[in-house]
Amino acid sequence: MAIIRTEHLDTGYERRIVVAGVDMEIRKGEIVTLIGPNGAGKSTVLKTIAGQLEPVGGVIYISEKERGSYSSNEIARMQSVMLTEKASSERITCEEVVSLGRYPYTGRLGILSSDDRQIVRESMDLVHVSEIADRDYHEISDGQRQRVLLARAISQEPEIMILDEPTSYLDIRHKLEFLDLLRNLVRDRDIGVIMSMHELELAHMISDRVICISSDGRIEMTGAPDEVFTDEAVSRLYGMERGRLTELYVSFIGSITRHPEVHTESDDQVKR
Amino acid sequence: MKVSNEAIRIRLIYAALALILAVLIMLNILMGSSSMTAGEALSILFSHETASKFGRIVWDIRMPRILAAVFLGGALSVSGFLLQTFFANPIAGPYILGISSGAKLCVALTMVYVLRAGLMTSSLMLVIAAFAGSVAVTGIILIISRRIRSMSVLIVCGVMVGYICSAVTEFLVTFADDSNIVNLHNWSMGSFSAVSWDNVRTLTVVVSLAVIAAFMLSKPMTAFQMGEQYARSVGVNLRSFRIGLITLSSLLSATVTAFAGPISFVGIAVPHIIRSVTKTSRPIVMVPQCFLGGAAFCLFCDLLARNLFAPTEMSISTMTAVFGAPVVIFMLLERKAR
Repeated sequence: MAIIRTEHLDTGYERRIVVAGVDMEIRKGEIVTLIGPNGAGKSTVLKTIAGQLEPVGGVIYISEKERGSYSSNEIARMQSVMLTEKASSERITCEEVVSLGRYPYTGRLGILSSDDRQIVRESMDLVHVSEIADRDYHEISDGQRQRVLLARAISQEPEIMILDEPTSYLDIRHKLEFLDLLRNLVRDRDIGVIMSMHELELAHMISDRVICISSDGRIEMTGAPDEVFTDEAVSRLYGMERGRLTELYVSFIGSITRHPEVHTESDDQVKR
Repeated sequence: MKVSNEAIRIRLIYAALALILAVLIMLNILMGSSSMTAGEALSILFSHETASKFGRIVWDIRMPRILAAVFLGGALSVSGFLLQTFFANPIAGPYILGISSGAKLCVALTMVYVLRAGLMTSSLMLVIAAFAGSVAVTGIILIISRRIRSMSVLIVCGVMVGYICSAVTEFLVTFADDSNIVNLHNWSMGSFSAVSWDNVRTLTVVVSLAVIAAFMLSKPMTAFQMGEQYARSVGVNLRSFRIGLITLSSLLSATVTAFAGPISFVGIAVPHIIRSVTKTSRPIVMVPQCFLGGAAFCLFCDLLARNLFAPTEMSISTMTAVFGAPVVIFMLLERKAR
């Protein structure tokens, strides 16, 4: 069953529609990735689904009921978000950040129960950040920070996670590490994921389905990675001439899909 | 294990703050132009006698002043913490953003107008006037912060707005033609000396309610500290949360200004010291500890203001600036080093 489904969803701001007519669904246990050129509106779509922006038109269904029929707390128990936003707080430990994932479950003053603490600890173990629990959130590396945010999203026990470019500022090793964690998480916990990504080769590796948003704000194509990542489709999406760039890209994708050991090798490295 | 360690540390800090507060209250009772022994003071405190000279000094002069320093100092520091949370900036505070000066201007206007009409000002009237001034300046600062994202520019704008309000107040004070002008002048420099028992009753009620309300906002504040999009995603109603935060911080700083005039730097320095000691910015810890810390800080400064160059009394703002401003400078250097 689809956790989130949209019907003719128009996203954007009051007067200016950024991406129009979005029909999509995200099911349990699958990773759906939005790709497209800069400024096409990937973040706008994600923010609308996450409830940060009101839809300009169309409907969002959560578990086949209209989004508006849920309270904000009910929604917070079903979906967690990881957007590109910096924390403002001066001093906050990583564990305190992860604890915030329990927000929708705690009482008036937000005091954690022992069950909450247990879930926080498990979430941190899952993404290997337990060792830095007491470190200041602002003093850890980018890779660690993304994992702490992932732990926070996990501790919220969502059915779906919405991630906006979770890998953008990470180096290649941390990108792979992060995606590996995400993949396992989706499998083990049967969570649905919708995220945006710049890196086509990584999107190809990790996604179950890919949604292409074109620069004029339309859904250009939706499908399995192998269907979407064709020479032609990618050139069209990014407005490239068939030529040298495309060749480069195709050879790159080719090397990944032809040699799956490249992927496993980096996986092993991560586990080590 | 780690959790309980942290809990123990925070409890110790509570105990330390309570102890410091108790000692400072006692010192403030004992010390002054006429000093008494601890035994005399205790017997006066427990017997409630107001007949003797010392009795009158303790109950008529020193106690209201001490209560004012405790509640207004606490209010100032909590108000600073709320503003820092709101603007996501540890240098924000009611004084530096010009909010205290706005309140001062409105109170001065009210005083001049009411005195000229031959009426007496009431405590509540002063609080309302100060609140109006605080909200007006906060509104201006908010509009500026919408247009300019830079925090340092916002602070400079706040300082400028503060100067404008102070200049207008000076103008009023200079040309007001009432004999009460002396009071007005003293008050506009910042002092706990003019606080009466009637004032104390009003300010303790207002400050207590506002601090409790701020404490009840701890949970959404925690989420807000992680960014507003995140707060919205976990179900915080941002609009009413923001209004609540601004109302409470304005009310707290307005109460201070109404009764003691503008007092500098407490709102920035105290939350910073508390954060450094507790090593957390969680509002559920910060709100009560900022209150206790602000109370202790103002008691300490008032003790010095009264006694250091006795019989000449200094303005409270002079003392809070001497001890508060260096803390702020250290804080800025620390942040730069990061």
